[in-house]
Amino acid sequence: MTPDFSDFTARLRRFISRSAGRRSAEAGRAEEFAGLALELFALQMAHNVPYRRFGEARCATPLTVTDWRQIPALPTSAFKELEISCLPFTERTVVFHSSGTTAQRPSRHFHNAESLAVYEASLLTGFRATVLADGFPLCPTGSPLVCLTPPADQAPHSSLVHMFETVRRAFGAADSVFVGRVAPDGGWELDLALATRRLEEATEEKRPVLLLGTAFSLVHLLDHLEAAGRWFALPAGSRVMETGGYKGRSRSLPKPALHALLAERLGVPPAEILCEYGMSELSSQAYDRAPGEVGPGTGEARGWPRSPGGPRLFHFPPWARTQVISPETGREAGVGDTGLLRVFDLANVFSVLAIQTEDLAIRRADGFELLGRPVLAEPRGCSLMAAEEPPPPAPARLRAPRFAVA
Amino acid sequence: MTLPNYFLADLPAEARLTPALIGEACQTLKHNREVYLANRATRDLARLLSAVAENWLQADDPFRRRALELGPAQLGFSRPTLARGLDAFFGQLTPAHLDALLVQELGHAHRLDELCAASAEQEHRRAALARGPEFLVHVAAGNLPNPALASLVLGVLTRSAQFMKCATGAALLPRLFAHSLYDADRKLGACLELAEWPGGNADLEEALFREADCVTATGAAETLAAIRRRVPDQARFLGYGHRLSFAFVARENLHGFHAKKAAARAAADVTAWDQLGCLSPHVIYVEHGGSVTAEAFAGLLAGELERLEQAEPRGALPAEQAAVIASRRGFYEVRAAHSEETRLWSSRASTAWTVVYETDPRFQASCLNRFVYVKGVNDLTQALQSADGVRGEISTVGLAVSDERARDLATVLARWGVPRVCPLGQMQNPPLTWRHDGRPSLGDLVTWTDWET
Repeated sequence: MTPDFSDFTARLRRFISRSAGRRSAEAGRAEEFAGLALELFALQMAHNVPYRRFGEARCATPLTVTDWRQIPALPTSAFKELEISCLPFTERTVVFHSSGTTAQRPSRHFHNAESLAVYEASLLTGFRATVLADGFPLCPTGSPLVCLTPPADQAPHSSLVHMFETVRRAFGAADSVFVGRVAPDGGWELDLALATRRLEEATEEKRPVLLLGTAFSLVHLLDHLEAAGRWFALPAGSRVMETGGYKGRSRSLPKPALHALLAERLGVPPAEILCEYGMSELSSQAYDRAPGEVGPGTGEARGWPRSPGGPRLFHFPPWARTQVISPETGREAGVGDTGLLRVFDLANVFSVLAIQTEDLAIRRADGFELLGRPVLAEPRGCSLMAAEEPPPPAPARLRAPRFAVA
Repeated sequence: MTLPNYFLADLPAEARLTPALIGEACQTLKHNREVYLANRATRDLARLLSAVAENWLQADDPFRRRALELGPAQLGFSRPTLARGLDAFFGQLTPAHLDALLVQELGHAHRLDELCAASAEQEHRRAALARGPEFLVHVAAGNLPNPALASLVLGVLTRSAQFMKCATGAALLPRLFAHSLYDADRKLGACLELAEWPGGNADLEEALFREADCVTATGAAETLAAIRRRVPDQARFLGYGHRLSFAFVARENLHGFHAKKAAARAAADVTAWDQLGCLSPHVIYVEHGGSVTAEAFAGLLAGELERLEQAEPRGALPAEQAAVIASRRGFYEVRAAHSEETRLWSSRASTAWTVVYETDPRFQASCLNRFVYVKGVNDLTQALQSADGVRGEISTVGLAVSDERARDLATVLARWGVPRVCPLGQMQNPPLTWRHDGRPSLGDLVTWTDWET
């Protein structure tokens, strides 16, 4: 890799470790973010050919872009259509795909050792500051992770599984486990007996457990426990992290109902259940807790903002920032307004830092409220549209996100 | 102007409808029809309908004014778009057109009044009388108002008691039309009922369908299938599913002024009812061989859409729908930056209109709200091959073609299964005599008595 990238990566990693557990807006962070973003934009325009073409078509180049908010945001659909990477072909040692059915072209995110190291630094720093904040026992004394996906050797290209595997290696006890498997049809299924057994063992051993899964896998597990007439009272300190949408694979539940059921069936208090928003096109994750907010009574005590009684707000760590863009005007939406989420993720060093998602969000003074993917469900207009797939992917309909729709 | 509470749809939103209420309304309608409508002459009803339509075309008509005042907020169309749609619909409702409809579908203008015979029947010493349903139920869709208005017109001609279940939030125009009929003729108005509830309310719909001898419904295939299952065996069910449409511009029209005129007509079809109807084009196929290429035609179309946006703006969209357009534009923007085979034109700082040019001729369903594809093809045959995936789901093909070729191309389209071929620019203005989805709209409602003398 070119010295430019290595130098940038080294400084970014220092920025990540210095900002761990802090807020983006804190003095110094915002300025440093802005400088790094413009520098990375220039690097990516120089080394990422598809992105350069996109930027030039918008007449946005390092000469014309003077503020990180002006950096042209690449639509996520481009990751299906094109190979979006600064890495030369021979250096692309790993590729992660978005989840989704086999009929859809997945988004692809290419990595090498250096880019994976940045990804892992971003993931683990953010994860430790939020999901593991306040007393979740870490390795080596260790608490087990129970991941409701197949293990990495069965799903080597899943960005979600890679995330869980990275977290397991860093934080999980030796007896952490993946209780999913890839079915003969390529879909994912759960080994429900194994999942139940691990929850039983954790309960007997009084070791807090961290349950990681998509919304649909959690619903699947809850349905099984209900059918089996099982309730758990998982040991104090146990947590649940939920991610991903339902995608029609299980009955869908509004998020509050899912969390209430998790609390009831597993004995995990709502304060210990949190949601993650991520996608294969990004290297950083947003959580619906501010750092340190998880756990009983910890958030307010530290003065982190929250919306009392309202839906939880998502926050990225300080090395990724967001805008909510009015789909009508293309300009930033006002506070309280709905628009499309745009993410500027410095940890996306070797792809593109500015990503235009297809997810709707409400801009809040601090963070964003996630609404999810707009559905063309015959509000006006011909409903035949809802069933029509444009040949090559319809950006609005095909990409499968990894987040829970409330 | 405040509308009196003549119909259930006039009741305040908090009023609760019950099956008993629906059942009573049905009985009242049937009674009123027997007393006030069953023995009216078709000519009188046609005269009444065309007089009401004539009023709707006047700028100071109170019902029209109210439609244009409330429509933009309630229905999401801009005032000029609504005005154009209303003019197109009510302009069709003339005595001559109503007469033509009766003759086309029933063979004789007096067919609903008496036993009568057209000349071919006279030769065979036959006569016949057609009867409409006693109680006609309509389940209207929410995208455009005019199919619902057309359904009510047909039901008046057949002298049926009519109950229209409007889609949520879409009752305004059927309501105003019904009030205008009531205003013109109270007895006729007493044979109409309108109500609004979210589709699929089994209790209310069972109470309604139980009384019907004919149910018409417009909507998605699944909606129609669900309604069909609940309609009693003795009632006739007429379902109109959603359809797609496209246009074809022939090479002889792709020169200078002709090309510009064709682009203006295509723009009129895209903007009519904000492209939300089954008759609105998703794709404009442009034949190779003219001096204006398909790509250049797309640019002309973009210019026309921009011009029309000034005079007849697209309605405001909720964020969800604007987001679908924004995301789809993003997809094509990326593609256009990487390939000569795709180009994108779009309104600045709004989602008002979008033109995507692609060399790939495959039919592409639009996300609507004035988002249209332009695709180049060698000829109509290639266009039809490219649209093979939606064969059988097409409603209308708009043609810009020379008189010499028109018949041949229309014949090819007819054999391929297109139910309606019309001039480009008229796609959203079907005549009253239009056979909806290729079926006789009035003819499907009636039952005949043949008399052999």
